Amino acid sequence: MAMWRSAVFVAAAFGVGCTADIQSPPAGMGASGNATPGSGAGTNTGSGAGSSVGGGATSASGGNGSGSGGTSSPGSGGSSGGTTPGAGGSSSGGTGMLNPNCTPQIEATSQIPRLLNAQYDRTIRDLLGVTNLTAANGVVPSTLLATDLTSGMTDLAWANYKDVADKIATQVFADPKLTANFIKCTPAAGDTTCLHQTIIDFGRLAFRRPLTTDEVARFDKVIAAGATITPTGAPMEVAQALLYMFLISPTFIQRAETTAVSDGAGHFTLSSAEIAQRLSYMLWGTTPDAALNQAADQNMLQTPQQIAAQAARMLQDPKARDMVSAFHQHYLLMDSESHWATANRDPATFPNWNPAVVGPIDDETLKFFDAITFTAGSTFKDFLTSPIAFVNKDTAPLYGLDGSKYGADLTEVSLDATQRPGFLTRLGFLMNFASLTRTNPIYRGAFISKQILGIDIPAPPAGATQTALPDSPDLDTNRKQVDAQTSGDSCKSCHHGYINPPGFAMEAFDAMGAWRTTESNGVPLDTTADITVVDGQPTVHVNGPADLMAAIASSPGALQQYVKQWVGYAYQRPGDAADQCDVAQLSAKMAGGNYAILNLIADLTQTQSFRLREVSP
Amino acid sequence: MTPTKRPPMQRRIFLKGVAGACLAAPFLSSVHEQWAKAQSVPATPPKRLVIFYTHNGTLTTRWFPSKEDGALAASDLTGTYLEPLSPYVNKLLLPRGFRSMNSYAVGQSIDPHDQACGSKLTCAYISTESNRYATAESLDHTIAKQINPGDKTPLVLSVGAPSTLIKEVISFSAPNTAFPSNVNPSSVYKLLTGVVMQGGSTGGSTGGTSMTPADYHVARGKSAIDLVTDDLQTYKRLNMSKADQDRIDAWLSLLRDTETGMTDPAMQAVCNAATQATLGITDAAVTAASPTGSITAGNVLGPKGTADGDANLATSFTKGGDMMMNLMALAMTCDVNRTFVFLYPGYVIYKWDGLMMTKEHHGLSHRTGDFTVGGNCYAGVIDMIAQIDTWLAGKFTRLVQTFDSMPEGDGTLLDNTATMWLPELSDGAAHNLNNLPILIAGSCGGYLKTGAAVNVEGKTIGKGNSESSCQNGGTIGNTGSSGGNQPINKLYVTLMNAVGCKAADGGPVTTFGVFDGNKDTDGIKNPGEVMALKAS
Repeated sequence: MAMWRSAVFVAAAFGVGCTADIQSPPAGMGASGNATPGSGAGTNTGSGAGSSVGGGATSASGGNGSGSGGTSSPGSGGSSGGTTPGAGGSSSGGTGMLNPNCTPQIEATSQIPRLLNAQYDRTIRDLLGVTNLTAANGVVPSTLLATDLTSGMTDLAWANYKDVADKIATQVFADPKLTANFIKCTPAAGDTTCLHQTIIDFGRLAFRRPLTTDEVARFDKVIAAGATITPTGAPMEVAQALLYMFLISPTFIQRAETTAVSDGAGHFTLSSAEIAQRLSYMLWGTTPDAALNQAADQNMLQTPQQIAAQAARMLQDPKARDMVSAFHQHYLLMDSESHWATANRDPATFPNWNPAVVGPIDDETLKFFDAITFTAGSTFKDFLTSPIAFVNKDTAPLYGLDGSKYGADLTEVSLDATQRPGFLTRLGFLMNFASLTRTNPIYRGAFISKQILGIDIPAPPAGATQTALPDSPDLDTNRKQVDAQTSGDSCKSCHHGYINPPGFAMEAFDAMGAWRTTESNGVPLDTTADITVVDGQPTVHVNGPADLMAAIASSPGALQQYVKQWVGYAYQRPGDAADQCDVAQLSAKMAGGNYAILNLIADLTQTQSFRLREVSP
Repeated sequence: MTPTKRPPMQRRIFLKGVAGACLAAPFLSSVHEQWAKAQSVPATPPKRLVIFYTHNGTLTTRWFPSKEDGALAASDLTGTYLEPLSPYVNKLLLPRGFRSMNSYAVGQSIDPHDQACGSKLTCAYISTESNRYATAESLDHTIAKQINPGDKTPLVLSVGAPSTLIKEVISFSAPNTAFPSNVNPSSVYKLLTGVVMQGGSTGGSTGGTSMTPADYHVARGKSAIDLVTDDLQTYKRLNMSKADQDRIDAWLSLLRDTETGMTDPAMQAVCNAATQATLGITDAAVTAASPTGSITAGNVLGPKGTADGDANLATSFTKGGDMMMNLMALAMTCDVNRTFVFLYPGYVIYKWDGLMMTKEHHGLSHRTGDFTVGGNCYAGVIDMIAQIDTWLAGKFTRLVQTFDSMPEGDGTLLDNTATMWLPELSDGAAHNLNNLPILIAGSCGGYLKTGAAVNVEGKTIGKGNSESSCQNGGTIGNTGSSGGNQPINKLYVTLMNAVGCKAADGGPVTTFGVFDGNKDTDGIKNPGEVMALKAS
């Protein structure tokens, strides 16, 4: 879950394209007592309490290019993409759809981002074979580092980089197998050749580029000082000091991009070593491997074709699967404050409720995305239509399968494609997006409309979420109750227009994820609905989940949303205005059909923005 | 008056041109000299600010003493959450009637918790970008830039899991730049072991003039400084953005600061192993208070824990938090920092120290047991909230105890510090920011009034309505408060003056934040400190 969990990513999970979060606690009654405007008690003196009922959307704008509404803040690199002149993000007719007829932009980013803590851990693992610190309760190294922060180095953060470096170096030199990851030769007393060569060889890996002459000289000075900075001056002690020095070097801790070669059009071309670094941290979250380093050393990472060849290779590596899984956690909001992993049912209502399914149903969701992504040729459509599923002894019965045929591990099965097409008909979504005693069409519908279709729905107005679920004899289905609950003036436009319809289509599944045709009281279900697939365009009529999934699968809005999430995640700048043209053009490519997910990921390395650096302002 | 928005390290330039807000004293000596000074025991003890921050509001009815104004006696605290603080009543200041900025649906309408956290110490709006970070620098950084030794950033600590989410971040080093908390006592310990005298030498890899010359660690440390400095200098020569250059400069200044060690014998006499031992800070105790792996993170909808993660969470909230307090006291004694923020995050299930919660704190604070607001009361919820509130009050009491147990000058660390319990919200279900339950322990070197409640609104405010519903099931009513709307900016201005901040003209600070009314466009309309909070 923690892969690439950075400030940027985690934060982004909340709101790219859907600034109004469906998870966070809605407006209190009374942030200043405005549940009952004017009621006196609880009203902030002079605060204008209650004045914003119905107007809660104002500050929550700025999603995914919502028509002409969301202007982007210059230099903010924020989520309000879509209308930056020249960025190609201008949308047409208030549909939220980006126009691919645009000129790609390049965002100016830091030249010296520090390794995120998760990247640090994997880098140490891949350079030195150290995954857990024996001197610190066996924790992963970054447990001792300061929490990821983007501002300048602090005394605390620096003290801890040094501490962790010391612990790692000690551990590496306590184990000959690990030592060999750092030093390949055996230094004799008084002979500096081996240590000097280690500076050059390990330095190439640690700095992710060859060391300059000055840098080699800098580390040679450490060798020269060896006798004074180590207990006995023995060569291996000096070697350990060298490793410590590498690990506290700013060039190791920061992923620097310093090449200043003009591309002739106002940008800088990244060096091959810098491209290798971008490739490996984007696709693997770690340091470049030998093949990437070799390509960099041969300056073979300059053309889009060269980069594409490496990307294709890298996507076959298991490290890419970790990254893709982390992305899908981000796409599904699993890495943030969301409904995932919170499935909980009232055993009185659902006697077959079993808490043991909570973990496996989320795992199934990720395995589903992994399987689709890495099956050659699979496209976005397959996420919504594939009948494959992964079950264990506890979850199988919920799909109507015989649990005794399965063990504790998840096993791939194929379900009835007419009832169970795609991930939104799997237990993970169906059970997590439900309430204790009943289905919750609002949770399901809001997730589908906002996070999957990418429709920019504002936050609910203050107090709206306190509207009770009405209960009367004529409201004999959950659908009717929810429909009535959301019929108020301040609720209706969003709920009846966007949120409720997909939720109602999904009423074919109960709160335990089981297929059904009637309510628990025996009243037949109505799963027909008119779905707003793209804002501002005619609705699509569906008869139930399978129709809905087909509509989503062919929705340009859903494609664009998926691409937008990928671009923001991969480039570590969710919703960045300058990236919206890339989003538009990749989305157009994807809409062309037969465009595999793996092609999309590889094409993230083919943009100008990936290859070039904007000159610093 | 608009806030001073500037990147770090810009101060001297800034000083010359702008007036009004809290700025550094003019013409600071070099960073190195600053640190050298900081290593000496100041003629008078340094003044400090400690912010103890808790989430999800409280049952205001049980938190507030009845007395709103005038001298406080121990008996005034009886029966309230503050009762355990009775022994310190003469050192307490209870400012009544403050409201923090950006009430939901009054200022912005993004999310009441995000707005409360992001605006709490900034008095500015939060960003509409997806991260929802504050759009201005926070109070702790503004103050740290003026009073911290060696230009250091504040020490921002927390129990619980590391987080960069707005719901768990209140410190911002610059607009839209989160300064997340550090959660691992081992990490803070490591910062201090390089400073504390350990039987004749400072610990860690640094040393001073009294160190054994043959200590190879000292030599290695110096060699490392040279190497890292050279590396950073190559970046400094590049044509990078101002932000990147600032990052390099911050790092370079740390090398000068942190590697030189402590040389002043007077400081060595207090910042030493004996003090550390008094505070119970040993290798073993720090290890026992530190996580052994991942910590279960909080979540608005309920934590997603593993057995190990839950165990680490419990350790962090108990031994971990207590050790953080001890470490803060040591950092204060050694004058490593003068600005502290310490958070207890709010989205966790309290299952330690005899608390047996089944719902996370945030949901309980809503009275529903989950993230929804309004509707039916969760059975027994008032008692559950009270148990958590009482536990948190116990933690603040322990913090006060710890600081007051450490002599300094003519008094204690507590006396030379403003140790403020600052809540995210007033009542958790109402999410209101008016009538905030705020408590300050210590006079900050005699600046603040103590042993008193001070109603700054000039009329009776009351204790709010936290128990107006859910006593016996039923539906949730309005649990907020009326009144208590004086802008918290004025309290912050008072605290800035208490710790020694100055305005650009060298006079007292008069304003803090972007706005002190309802909207950010309102600006600051009510400048000045609160005279009634000052010792007479």
